[in-house]
Amino acid sequence: MLNSFIPILALFQAAEGGRWAQTWQAASHPDLSKFLVIGALLFIIGVAGVLTRRNIIVIFMSIELILNAANLNFIAFSRYLTSIGNVNAVAGQIFAVFVIVVAAAEAAIGLGIVIALYRNKETIWVDEIDLLKW
Amino acid sequence: MYKYIWLVPLLPLIGAAINGLLGRKLRFSETVIGGIAVGSVALSFLISVAAVVSYGLGGGHAHWPTPYLTSQDGFSFSWIPGGAISVNNGASYALLNIEWSYQLDPLSAIFMLIVTGVGLCIFIFATGYMHGETGFYRFFAYMGLFMFAMLVLVMGSNFLMMFVGWEGVGLCSYLLIGYYFDREEAANASRKAFITNRIGDFGFALAIFGIIATFGSAQYGDVFNLAKGYPIETLGHWGVMSWIALGLFIGACGKSAQLPLHVWLPDAMAGPTPVSALIHAATMVTAGLYMVTRTNVIFQHSQTMLLVVALVGTATAIFAAIIGITQNDIKKVLAYSTVSQLGFMFMACGVGAFAIAIFHVMTHAFFKALMFLGAGSVIHGMHHEQDMRRMGGLKKYMPYTYWTFFAGWLAICGIIPFSGFWSKDEILWKAASTTYVPLGWLVWLVGTIAATCTAFYMTRLMAMTFWGRERFLEKPETHDIHGGGHDHAAHVPHESPPSMWVPLVVLAVLATIGGFVGIGPAFQAVTGVEHPGGKLNIVNWLNPIIWNPETGEFNVPHEGEHGSVISHTAPVAESHGSSSWFNLAHAVEGVTHSHLLTEWLFIVISLVVAGIGIGFGVLFYVKNPSLPDIWAQRLRPLYQASYNKFWVDEFYGWAVTRRTMDAARAVFAFDSRLVDGIVNGLATLSRGLSRVVGAIDKYFVDGIVNTIAAFIKRLMSPLFRAAQTGFTQNYALMMVLGLMIAVVLFFARDIF
Repeated sequence: MLNSFIPILALFQAAEGGRWAQTWQAASHPDLSKFLVIGALLFIIGVAGVLTRRNIIVIFMSIELILNAANLNFIAFSRYLTSIGNVNAVAGQIFAVFVIVVAAAEAAIGLGIVIALYRNKETIWVDEIDLLKW
Repeated sequence: MYKYIWLVPLLPLIGAAINGLLGRKLRFSETVIGGIAVGSVALSFLISVAAVVSYGLGGGHAHWPTPYLTSQDGFSFSWIPGGAISVNNGASYALLNIEWSYQLDPLSAIFMLIVTGVGLCIFIFATGYMHGETGFYRFFAYMGLFMFAMLVLVMGSNFLMMFVGWEGVGLCSYLLIGYYFDREEAANASRKAFITNRIGDFGFALAIFGIIATFGSAQYGDVFNLAKGYPIETLGHWGVMSWIALGLFIGACGKSAQLPLHVWLPDAMAGPTPVSALIHAATMVTAGLYMVTRTNVIFQHSQTMLLVVALVGTATAIFAAIIGITQNDIKKVLAYSTVSQLGFMFMACGVGAFAIAIFHVMTHAFFKALMFLGAGSVIHGMHHEQDMRRMGGLKKYMPYTYWTFFAGWLAICGIIPFSGFWSKDEILWKAASTTYVPLGWLVWLVGTIAATCTAFYMTRLMAMTFWGRERFLEKPETHDIHGGGHDHAAHVPHESPPSMWVPLVVLAVLATIGGFVGIGPAFQAVTGVEHPGGKLNIVNWLNPIIWNPETGEFNVPHEGEHGSVISHTAPVAESHGSSSWFNLAHAVEGVTHSHLLTEWLFIVISLVVAGIGIGFGVLFYVKNPSLPDIWAQRLRPLYQASYNKFWVDEFYGWAVTRRTMDAARAVFAFDSRLVDGIVNGLATLSRGLSRVVGAIDKYFVDGIVNTIAAFIKRLMSPLFRAAQTGFTQNYALMMVLGLMIAVVLFFARDIF
């Protein structure tokens, strides 16, 4: 997909060696920092979602974002380490698979809890679920 | 064959273990139990015979006359591998290493044969006598255990093994006297036997300590080799040998029922009759004789102790014989007779005739076991009646028992040629002719009187039991137990089964001919030599273990010279003792001018006194049955004293038992009043104290703690309560904030 744009982008590159060129350069040579930035963004979005949203389903989805931020970091570091010659860096990818599995299990259980909660309280708004208060 | 002697004690133990551990669980029948017990003892007996024959006679006297032969290459192990011990006040050191090893020497050989042989007869008898008893397996387990202990006692090669056997037989004696433990009389008798024996064991244990401390070993061979080098301690001189001998003799007194520790043996008759025959007549009570003879080196080194042994034996012989005259319980008569005969044996030891003592042990084992078994047969036939006043005329009903008993009676009375004659006559002759101790004439005189009494009370027993009126047919005035409802047919005595009279016949044969192994020097004219029979003569046989004070060595004959033995009594040893002692035999010899004639004179005297005893017995209890009552009236104080056994039991009851009980009560009072008072007072005090402390804790300490806690609660709770909002996201926010702080702090290192 990205490769099909290369000829067009090459035009930009050829036209001016300025900011676009730099952008192109950065896009065609993705290095570790970019993945980390994206991962951090995903994480922050997820945390913000967890902290601000009242709908428990959305909070779940935010948690998934956090997990996937972590996954992204795993994969990025795995690739990075492979590229600099460490052939044994496949552990990060395995971890990612594990996280996905755990996330799936967690989602199943979490949704089950949500359903049970809804049956009892008839709500999924977390600010109405405050039984732990003193 | 001697290598297998370790099997001799082991087999009865195995039999006892099988009977005792499995007999009840597997519900063995009487045949099985009896078979195991009799079989194990019979095997032991066969091995003993084979070992003794191959040791003493066969194989060209390969091991003769080495007196101390242990089964080193057989069953033997280091039992107490001790370290160095200080000997003689630290002057020298010795390694104390005690082996568990058996030895076969002339003395242990005789005892092995007596214990297993007579034991076998009694075991067979017991299978018949104990028929139908509920504790049949228990009886034979104890009996087998007894055989083991007794064989360890006589076959061990050191003093500690002797002690183990000594205590083992004491335990078995206790268990078997108390066999009918549901009868109070038997239970008390067993305790009495055990406690009285403790006094003797105390002396024996002290003597063993003394031996180990003095000689640095407990092995017979080492001890006796060292002991023979010690100087002989003259009369009144109490050296180390005398003290050791005293301890040993106290032990012997306890086990062999000598004055003043004789009280347990008559009471021990509460046990089953085979037990009385085996333990309290033939074997265990002769353990004291075995020990004194075994340690004859030590005893011969102390003239004082020899005299003590002789006098104690003499006193016991006459004392028990007098008591025996008036007893009515058939077993009690035999029990006092046993005490008296044991006195005769100690008498022989005391005058230095150890071999003769063992000779009398052997003949006594034959005829007394026979008479006890005969009494058992009578009791069995009379349906457990022991009182001779309810017997009489049994000759007709129990022929086997009668005729075997008859042989035993002649033997104990000392009628030639029955076995008792040879040994008892030799004892009296040695007493009269002794050069070992003074007062030999007194020993002889009292011994002769005791022999007369023996003949008298045994004739009385015969007359009351087997002859005369059949008193069991008369209706007894005070027959409270069986009541009048019983018909007399049930009380007519019957002859015992073959399992009971066959052993009687065997023992009767032995009691008749058993004396021929010890024909004395008086019959030199007939036999040609002083002790005929070569090594088969008991005096020659035992010589290697007897220490000779003249030569200072054991009487070990040279190779091939068996039979020619230095007699250590007939030629007067001037080196031993003072010639100023009055010697009856010498005095008589001064008149007759012939050694042989003198000896024959004494033989005639003992035969005459035996005849007098029997004659009076017949006169009193057969010819004129009213005489006993008349004479009992005339000699009332003496009769009462004899009938009441000289009040020894009462005296002990007053002097020992009552004092002990009083002391116990006093100590108990002290304990319950003072000691308990102190303890209880302290307890009350600490309870009061704990109440005070409890109050302080409850009101003061708890008050402070509660106050502070309430204050803190009031002060801090709003603060912490505010944090608990109940909103999930607040908690999540706190987590995120905390995480951020942690991250910041983590990187703060690099920043600052």
